[in-house]
Formats: sequence, C-alpha cells, structure tokens
Amino acid sequence: MNTHTPSLDEVEDEPPDEPRHRTRRFLLVVAPFSGIVAFFVGWEVYVRVSGVGPLTLPLPSDVLHHVLTNAGFYWQHGLVTLQEAFWGFWLAFFVAVAVATLMAHSRFLERATMPVIVLIQSTPVAVLVPVFIIWFGFSPWPKILTAALFAWVPFVANALTGLRAVDEDTHELMRSVDASRWEIYWQLRVPHSLPFLFSAGRICIGLALVGAVIGEFFNSTEGLGNTARVAQSRVLVDQLWGSVFVLAFIGIVLVIALSAVERRLLRWHSSQGLM
Amino acid sequence: MAIADTTIPETTTGIHFDRVSKWFRGKDQIVHALSRVTLDVAEGEFVSLIGPSGCGKSTMLRLAGGLLEPDKGSIMVGSEAPELARRRKHYAFIPQQPALLPWRTVRENVALLGELNRRVGSGGVSPTDQLELLEHIGLGSFVDAYPKELSGGMQQRVSIARAFALGAQVMLMDEPFSALDEITRADIRYRLLEIWRRAGSTVLFVSHSIPEAVLLSDRVVVLSGRPGRVTNVINVDLPRPRHEDMEDSRTYHAAISEVRSAVRGSSAGR
Repeated sequence: MNTHTPSLDEVEDEPPDEPRHRTRRFLLVVAPFSGIVAFFVGWEVYVRVSGVGPLTLPLPSDVLHHVLTNAGFYWQHGLVTLQEAFWGFWLAFFVAVAVATLMAHSRFLERATMPVIVLIQSTPVAVLVPVFIIWFGFSPWPKILTAALFAWVPFVANALTGLRAVDEDTHELMRSVDASRWEIYWQLRVPHSLPFLFSAGRICIGLALVGAVIGEFFNSTEGLGNTARVAQSRVLVDQLWGSVFVLAFIGIVLVIALSAVERRLLRWHSSQGLM
Repeated sequence: MAIADTTIPETTTGIHFDRVSKWFRGKDQIVHALSRVTLDVAEGEFVSLIGPSGCGKSTMLRLAGGLLEPDKGSIMVGSEAPELARRRKHYAFIPQQPALLPWRTVRENVALLGELNRRVGSGGVSPTDQLELLEHIGLGSFVDAYPKELSGGMQQRVSIARAFALGAQVMLMDEPFSALDEITRADIRYRLLEIWRRAGSTVLFVSHSIPEAVLLSDRVVVLSGRPGRVTNVINVDLPRPRHEDMEDSRTYHAAISEVRSAVRGSSAGR
C-alpha cells in the first residue's frame, strides 16, 4: 500500500480568520443587549397593538421619557435606595463571611449555627421591618438591616461551601509543610471561596435592593420604595413605573459592575474562559 | 532477588520504618492497613512501593510524612520523627493530583511551599533556581501561565518542580503520574529522574505501574494485600542515569518479570 506523509511545508498551519476574542465580546456584550432591546420593543409593540390603557401598562418609551425629564428627582431618591442597599449588601457580606469562617473551622459551631440560619431563612424578613423601626426609629438602619437580612443567607451558604469544599490534595499538601490554619485560610480557603461569593453577590445585589425598597415601604420619606408607595396611593402611574425602571437600572448597572470586577479578579477561574 | 537489609544505615536523610503497624477505625469496622512493616530507604536512594490496591502504600507515605501516626512501631526520617521533619519542612510531598492553586501562576505555584510556614525559615530554593527548575522540566515558557492553561501532564510537571523547589532532601511521591496518559508518563518519568539526579534527594515513590517502578527505582518494595506487609524487596541493577534505550534491555525486562512474580506471589498468599 502506498502512503503519502505530507511534509511540514504542505501542512496548512494558519490561524482561523475569526479571532476568539471577537466571538467572546459578541457573546458578552451584544447578546445581552439585544435581549434587553427585544424585551422593550416587544412591550412597546404589544401596548400599541393591543390598545391596553396606560393605567394598566404604560408604553416603556413614555416611562423612559418621564424618567429623563425628572432625572433630578429619580437621582435623589435612587441614591438613597442605592446607599441603603449598598450598606445592607456589605453588612450581609462581612457578617456572612465571618460566620462561615467560624463554621468552616468548627463542626460544633457549624451544627450550632445551621438551625439559626434556617430559622432566619424561613422567617419572612418583611415582618421584622416594624421591629427594626421600633429599635432604630426613622433612621436608615431599618432599611439597611432589611437589605442585609435579605442578602445574608445566599452569602453565608456560598461562603461556607467555598471555604469548606477545598481540594483535599491541596489541603494535605499545605499540611505537609505544617502551614498554619491562618495560612491555609488566606492562601487556600479564601481564594477558593471567591467564585462562590461572586455568584452569591450577583443574586444578593437584587435581594439587597428588594430589602431596601421593602424597608422604605414601611417607613420612609425618601427612596424609590417611598416614591413607588406614594405613586400607588395617588395613582401616579408614570412615577410608579419610573421608580420600577430606575430600580431595575440600578440593579443591572451593579450586576455589570460586579461582573467586571469578577472578570478581573477571577481571570484564573474556569468560568472566565482562557485569556 | 534481594531481601532488605534491616540494619539502619548511618544516614541523615534516609527513611526508616521499624515494625510499623497501622489500623483505621471506621464507623462500623476497623481496617488493618499495615502490619509490622520494616523498611530502610538509604540517603539518596529512589525506592518504589508497589502492591495491590488498598495494601497501605499511600498510608506508608503519609506515615513517613508525619501526616498520620503509627499505632505500633516507629518511623524516622533521617534523625527526626516524621512529625518534626514535617514541621521543619524537611520533606516535600507530591500528591496524586497536581493540587495546584488555580489562582496562582506556574511561577507562584512553584514558590508556594517555600512561602508557607516561614517560622522555620526554610523558604526553599531561590527564585532564580525555581525558574531553572521550570526550564529543566520543560515549562520555561509557561512561568506566567495559570494552571487552567496547562495540560494535565504540564500541571503534574509544575507539581514536581514545586516539590523540588522546597529544597528538601526527602521526597514523598504518591502515584504522581496515575492520572496521565502513557505518552505523557513516559516523558515525565525521565524529566523527574533528571531533576532528582541534580537534587540527590531520597525518594519514596508509590506506584501502580511495575515498569514505571522498575525504570525509576534503585529498589522496588512489594507489599502484600491488606494488611500490607513487605513481602519482597527487589534491587534494580540498571545503571544511572537511566534513559529510554534501557527499556529494551534484558536487565529491565528481567526486573519487571521479577517484580511481577513477586506481586503475584504476594497477592496469592493473601
């Protein structure tokens, strides 16, 4: 049988025409943006075609116009809600990481703490808002605490998994040079938990915003929860939907910002693809 | 076939097992892992442990490394108890999986063991020597790569470089090539031998592969099935340094046959 082995010169060795990063950018930016555009175009077309009244469902273009013409108003109230959600988010984060750290280092503490976490998780947090108001009055704290309680459980669950489920071989390797608990914590457990914490963070941004708004429903003179509540009681449909739009916008911007930080910090993680 | 000399050699970095027994207590049962194991690994010697699954090879490695304690008998690493050798970073461990930190580059992973436990002052070899190690093991152009960018074989080479970068004179290797394909294993064995030759360390190597154990080792220790006992110690008379041509030699194949018969014998005698 005659066989022909191609020489090196004959073998085609050219890179593909389409660079990888172009496809990646398309997936990262264009695809989500087109999803949002399609959603609003669909909404706009539906309202125009079906003839549903603005009291039931306004045109998104009208809501957008209302928000832009009252940008100062929404900026002022949006900033209040953003601050409450921000501090609630970080409070939840730090308390969750501290609790998860203790749980990851002690089986006793893990077993003792788990029922309390389940208790908090299964208690409707909204019913605690009046309690916080009794404790802290008309300060931002009831809203911050509500935001923190909403965001706390996903953070603690993910932090615990990340801190505990480290690779057994790597743990043993570190023990083989008598690494201290502190070194194992900082060099192994904390970096290992980062992807878990970022995952939780994306969920918790939304939850912290929900918590802040619920806090504002109960007791506030400002914030987007307040503007929505006032709009509902006075049937100000534009303002009601304007508050919703601005809240959604804040949520999206925060998630995008967090994802950008994640891409930068977790370049090494398989979720970020090859560089 | 040569049976192990039971007198403890005058060495500073040898490994000595003296009638070591080990049991593991599970929830419902007690497993007798090792029974009265006596073995001396001389300074600078490369010794492989081979035997059926569950015969206690990895347990012996962890006992030598102070990660487990014997229930009976004693172990010395040089003139120290294993626990002390561990605390002083006097041995380096190569686990079955590469166990690289994915957030560290190749260079940073190689420096890891030196950075940990600085209380005892052993920071390992210098950064220049770390880079030289990586060059020798064929990863000179990957020093700034992350583990996810490397193949399984390359990751295991980083693991080997990391162990040698500690500058320890005793190496404990737990089937480090078991997850690699045959072509990669063949390549990595010779790279390991080259680095070991330069370092001159004492190696206790766990393997499932008889040809691999023969090719790498000065002696192959055959363990019986559970509880693990040393049934044979076979000298490999291949000269050093070893190279690929030796894999066609009579001595090599004779040693493989000898180890294979010993493994069969130890399994049959269970």
